[in-house]
Amino acid sequence: MKPEVKEALIAKLTALADDEVILAQRNSEWVGHAPILEEDIALANLTQDELGHAQIWYGLRQALDGADPDRLVFFREASEFRNAELLELPRGDWAFTMLRQFLFDLYESLWLEAAQRSLYPPLAQAAGKILREERFHLQHSRAWVERLGLGTEESHRRLQEALDFQWGYAQQLFVPIPGEALLVAEGLLPDLETVKARWLEYATQRLQQSGLKLPINPGYQPADRSHHTEHLWSLLAEMQSTARWDPQAQVW
Amino acid sequence: MDTQWPRWEVFKQDTPSKPHQAVGSVHAADPEHALLTARHVFARRPQAVSLWVVPAEAVFSVTKEQLEAGTVPFPETPPTTKPTLYYVFRKTSHKRSMTFVDYVGEVSAAGPAEALKEAQSRFTDAEALAWWLVPALQVVKSDPSREAIESWFEPAKDKTYKQQQYYATVGSHVSKHKGAKR
Amino acid sequence: MAGKYGVPTDPDYPKRLAEFEARIARGEKIEPGDWMPEEYRRQLIRMISQHAHSEVVGMLPEGAWITRAPTLKRKMILIAKVQDEAGHGQYLYHAAETLGITREAMLEALLSGKAKYSSIFNYPTLTWADIGTIGWLVDGAAIKNQTMLAQCSYGPYSRAMVRICAEETFHHKQGKEMVLLYAKGSPKQRQMAQDAINRWWWPALMMMGPHDQDSPHTPLLMRWGIKTKTNDQVRQEFINEHAPEILEAGLSIPDPQLRYDPQSGNWLHGPIHWDEFWQVVNGNGPMNKERLAARRKAHQEGAWVREALEAYAAKQQKAAVAV
Repeated sequence: MKPEVKEALIAKLTALADDEVILAQRNSEWVGHAPILEEDIALANLTQDELGHAQIWYGLRQALDGADPDRLVFFREASEFRNAELLELPRGDWAFTMLRQFLFDLYESLWLEAAQRSLYPPLAQAAGKILREERFHLQHSRAWVERLGLGTEESHRRLQEALDFQWGYAQQLFVPIPGEALLVAEGLLPDLETVKARWLEYATQRLQQSGLKLPINPGYQPADRSHHTEHLWSLLAEMQSTARWDPQAQVW
Repeated sequence: MDTQWPRWEVFKQDTPSKPHQAVGSVHAADPEHALLTARHVFARRPQAVSLWVVPAEAVFSVTKEQLEAGTVPFPETPPTTKPTLYYVFRKTSHKRSMTFVDYVGEVSAAGPAEALKEAQSRFTDAEALAWWLVPALQVVKSDPSREAIESWFEPAKDKTYKQQQYYATVGSHVSKHKGAKR
Repeated sequence: MAGKYGVPTDPDYPKRLAEFEARIARGEKIEPGDWMPEEYRRQLIRMISQHAHSEVVGMLPEGAWITRAPTLKRKMILIAKVQDEAGHGQYLYHAAETLGITREAMLEALLSGKAKYSSIFNYPTLTWADIGTIGWLVDGAAIKNQTMLAQCSYGPYSRAMVRICAEETFHHKQGKEMVLLYAKGSPKQRQMAQDAINRWWWPALMMMGPHDQDSPHTPLLMRWGIKTKTNDQVRQEFINEHAPEILEAGLSIPDPQLRYDPQSGNWLHGPIHWDEFWQVVNGNGPMNKERLAARRKAHQEGAWVREALEAYAAKQQKAAVAV
């Protein structure tokens, strides 16, 4: 593998993994506090799956540069994380959480479907493996969006507010990272523009069927994944507090 | 007002060669939601290949003891009712178990009482300690396609960190320390 | 349920009771629909719902550390464990529901503060080592009780317990693995592990409930096969397993009178501070108010979500009828 390809691939794998870890961190805040007991269990499933996906992506990076996944998660600074800003936003209410899950699950499923054709076999295999679970996730979050959108006036209002807030943020999922064009050219990654076209079509259809209106003004649209919201620092401060508490600890 | 949504009985099939078994129930708002919820609650560890959910009030249940005492609470079926399909589930053992009644087959009958009679004459290979009769129309099933099974049930096998066998070698056996001093 | 069902004023009651007790003596499981004394039903509802509440409230002390777990693996394990607690609450509410009480009524009793739950969950989780210690000691104590209850004469409770025991063994093992690791870890990790054992040992012993002579329900519960061992028997089993293992790990136990008695083969413990136990049971533990407040908040904030799904389901049904 050419050094510039390897470098870009490491960056992409990190971004994929960081997305999963940060979303899992937010979703895990619900465990014990969900609207009904069965959904505590559901959220705990989604979170475990997302962490499992993060492990897979970090693992692929580790195979390339030896970086330890736990060091990456628990000892990097906010400015070194490469997750999309959408995923670090506070969990909000149930509508906010479920809409974010839907927008992300849909993006992930479509991206993974295309990534199964990667010419880098470890990535193609990982995509196939993760896609299995994502299909179920998407069924789950799609069902929730439909129910909240068509449920009561209040649930509809909350879901529409979440959509107005998140729509611009969600567009960042389709902004290539530096070096991504090279990986696409080499056949290692799918083209994000193509994925985005499918995402827009499906999302628009589903959201409209759920009684929602796409915002006319999408609002703030982050692009550069080295930039973050003001929430990431606190999220990491909490997430990393135990791991950083004892510099002498060798193993947890 | 009840804030907990209706209850749905859940039946899980562990492998294609085993029957669906009653494993418990979930509270959910509608059939699709009940099925998704059953997957979250009852298939977070292996094994499963299929799930059925049924509104709890659609299940007609009767025990051997009720039959002997003549206290069966079945509704009467008007004589003109057309026969429909019932799924039959049966419990045959008092042994320690995680599951209650197992699926044994289906019968066509005008009502639950008739379905029971039919089941009693058809499924005679073991003594029934309890019967469940469920109108087939009320059963909501998970997608049997290969792709759906891979998506709903197979990933649980990889989650070894929550399976106790994974920790088998922790510590040493108690009996070694019987004589230990403080 | 029929008015006189299982009530001692029913003329058939003595005969029915004798048949019922004979069934239990033969090792048969009592199933929903079977005749049972009203007191059997009442005791089961009391025990099972308390047990379910304990699982649900029990999500909170450990759940608070999910966001702070020190490795990806520990985070996944902890989420799976807290998820199991939700699942166990779910199975147990189901078992109670088969006795004719609704989950709504049980939840109302919990949220209003009327219902009891295990006092262990009214202690705070102060450090990460508490997570390991809860798994090892608290779940270790719970398993002893649950293994006994898996033999219970009531089918649905027994089945829930068999399922729960299978999952709970993972909780116990992952907790033990952590504490043993930290006992051999850095100085700060060792100190943290010891501190956690010091704080959780006595509350864990109290989990089995009062001494036999102060446990009024026990004789009846044993006669009807709901319990098959007394509180003190279960407590002794727990100590006999865990005390030597903790000492072997190089940690100490905060009971100066603890000693091995070669004659009985038991580890004998010093006096338990039952006044502390009763304080916590009666609502004055360090975390009673916070735990209930957290459950109430989740319930209230989830109200609009539950209503939305009911409304959606009603609209779907209406549409289906119209077609």
